[in-house]
Amino acid sequence: MNSEILKKLLKTVGLILIISYGLDKLVFFSLNKISDKVMTGQAIGKLNHFLSLKDDTDFLVFGNSRANRHIDVNMFSDNGYNMGVDGVGIAYNSTLINTLPKDKKQLILVHIDTKNFFDLNYDGSDIRGLKTKYQRDDKMTEALNKSGQLSQLQRIYYSMNYNGNAIGIIKNYFKPSYDFKTYNGYDPLTVSASQEEMRDLVLSKTMIDDNCIDELSINSIALDYLRSIKSFAENAPNKTFMFVTSPAYNDTCDIDNEKLAAIMQDLGLPYWDYTNLYKNTKDNSYWKDATHMSKKGAEAFSTYLLDKYKSNNN
Amino acid sequence: MLFNSLEYLIFLPIVFIIYWLLKNSYKKQNILLLLSSYVFYGWWDYRFLSLIIFSSFLDYFVGQKIEEAIGEKNKKRWLLVSLFSNLGLLAVFKYYNFFADSFASTMSSIGWEVNDLTLNIILPVGISFYTFQTLSYSIDIYRNQIKASRDIVGFFTFVSLFPQLVAGPIERASNLIPQIENKRKLSVTLLKTGVFQIFIGLFRKVAIADNLGIYVDSVYGNYEIHNGSTLLVATVFYAFQIYFDFSGYSDIAIGSAKLFGFNFNRNFNFPYFSKTLTEFWRRWHMSLSFWLRDYLYISLGGNRKGIVITYRNLLLTMLIGGLWHGSSWNFVIWGGIHGLFLSLEKYTFSALKIKTFNWFGYIYTFIVVLIAWIFFRAPDFQSASTIVAEIFSFNYGSLFIGNINSFVNAILLLCIGIAIDLKIFRSGISLEEYGVRFSTVRLSILVSVIILMLCLFYSTAENFIYFQF
Repeated sequence: MNSEILKKLLKTVGLILIISYGLDKLVFFSLNKISDKVMTGQAIGKLNHFLSLKDDTDFLVFGNSRANRHIDVNMFSDNGYNMGVDGVGIAYNSTLINTLPKDKKQLILVHIDTKNFFDLNYDGSDIRGLKTKYQRDDKMTEALNKSGQLSQLQRIYYSMNYNGNAIGIIKNYFKPSYDFKTYNGYDPLTVSASQEEMRDLVLSKTMIDDNCIDELSINSIALDYLRSIKSFAENAPNKTFMFVTSPAYNDTCDIDNEKLAAIMQDLGLPYWDYTNLYKNTKDNSYWKDATHMSKKGAEAFSTYLLDKYKSNNN
Repeated sequence: MLFNSLEYLIFLPIVFIIYWLLKNSYKKQNILLLLSSYVFYGWWDYRFLSLIIFSSFLDYFVGQKIEEAIGEKNKKRWLLVSLFSNLGLLAVFKYYNFFADSFASTMSSIGWEVNDLTLNIILPVGISFYTFQTLSYSIDIYRNQIKASRDIVGFFTFVSLFPQLVAGPIERASNLIPQIENKRKLSVTLLKTGVFQIFIGLFRKVAIADNLGIYVDSVYGNYEIHNGSTLLVATVFYAFQIYFDFSGYSDIAIGSAKLFGFNFNRNFNFPYFSKTLTEFWRRWHMSLSFWLRDYLYISLGGNRKGIVITYRNLLLTMLIGGLWHGSSWNFVIWGGIHGLFLSLEKYTFSALKIKTFNWFGYIYTFIVVLIAWIFFRAPDFQSASTIVAEIFSFNYGSLFIGNINSFVNAILLLCIGIAIDLKIFRSGISLEEYGVRFSTVRLSILVSVIILMLCLFYSTAENFIYFQF
């Protein structure tokens, strides 16, 4: 390599580093400006909406798509919000719970998916769903740093925080998906007449859990996040926590449910496991698929849950 | 080590700097390349390095024996040693379970129950690629097309050179060994085209292919519950996923090699812009299709022994080409579909006395390729048949979108990918040479935009599709 090539090489590398760094910051700060005004959509709108009302809400639901689809917050409170988000786990939810004001009186329902707690491959990567708030919200930044789930490159190229979400954010900025002022976070699933046949086919093919063994051990990362919620709850005496597992169509393994119930009892967390609540009902109209209830099922479950909650508190 | 990993981002510049510090001795550079290639491969599983070393030793030794042998019979004997040893390794590691399983199924179908004969064998990454590379070396010496290498480090480097070790391009000894056994130079052209191709490759793989893969995986993972329109869209997505995945890999490989002063052969030339299937195979995975043509089709007699034998040779070549991809009947069927249509094309051209199709050819070629991809992607024959039947039932309902963000990203990136391809295709300049058009500043801006696109759209697929072959 002669000196001319070396100069060219250094110039190319230097220019790439400078231009890409500048371009990254330009796009990142522009997306920040836009995204802060976005209140709709699962990518960031729902998170922004939650952050805007979390300090004034009486009832909050945390969890994944099952929480989002199964719990009608309006039945519990006129001032409630369902923060269930597709594909998230205990890492995401624990981090959000830790952003709540400690003194405010609130009822917090944490939806627990039993299987996730015994999935040894669970690494807490769902916390990446909060990456749009990295370096912008202290508690979330701290949790993201602690989780080790962000790439080292993310510390240089900030726009990675918007990975996969940029188009959705821009779309929701110009054309919001719904009127967020009337939205309470609950997204029931309707099953049209044309979808019923396919739903029945899917339900009939629900697999038997072949990993049902006594030696199931709890995922330590999930357990740490659960402990973090417990620690928060202990320091927030005005808050009432309830941990709930909502029904599944045909759960064939009880071992994990029993083990999780025992762990929750050891931790002193109030846990209600309703996995098998509708197991013997054989009414497909309660279901959208094997893990998600239909609107009809969700409303029946929300009513049941509310009754149980009331009877426990009387 | 994966090209799209942080490890490679560190590995490549380190090797690059040390390599050019050793510029006064190409032999020292070769030692460095050999060691770094072994590190690159060993990062995945160091135990399988022994196979590469064994294969390298064998062909280094056998190559010289073929050259020194007196008489055709002796030459052939040594060639057979190479063929049996290399193909034997491939047979054991790649095909043993397939044949054992097929044998047991056949016996079972005629009423004889056979004990499970399959073994717990791990398929060494890249074995199909480096085996074909070393085979071509021995065959070329046998055909007196090249001289046997007497430089052991150089030859070992030829077999294991890291940019092309695990998924090609399958380099010919006649192209690569002379470059390895001589001093290399890094020119401005190589630097620009190399950097351009590495980043275009990364964009194709990490942004386009991996985003398309999210939808493809979700549909093919539950193909029973999806309607014809969804399966069709997923198959079209897969056609582009595999193209951008593998051509992206090849771009990074060829671009990385350029930074070390090597010129690899082209592996893709916009295959979906083909009017015939014959043209498609001159543009798709060119290093494999030319290998199959030169060492299999021509060895079987090519088109020199009459029309029937030509069709047989075509079909056989494509069936074996299909099996090369993986030990499954689906790959054989995939090869069979290509072989059948290549034969039909040959017949049509000869009957109509034409050399190619008009614009209709683009649609015809894409449809045939698309149908064949279903067998390539589906997990087994039954599921592939179900998908084909559902698509051709023309009972199209509403399209499954899945995650709206992922779907929109995939469509957007696919459009960008096709637009880039169209632009380069129309320019008449190959992708391999396209980077030279840019000034240093423009190239830096372009690369920076690609980096930004990668930040915004990267997806986290673990592997390149062709690693499994």
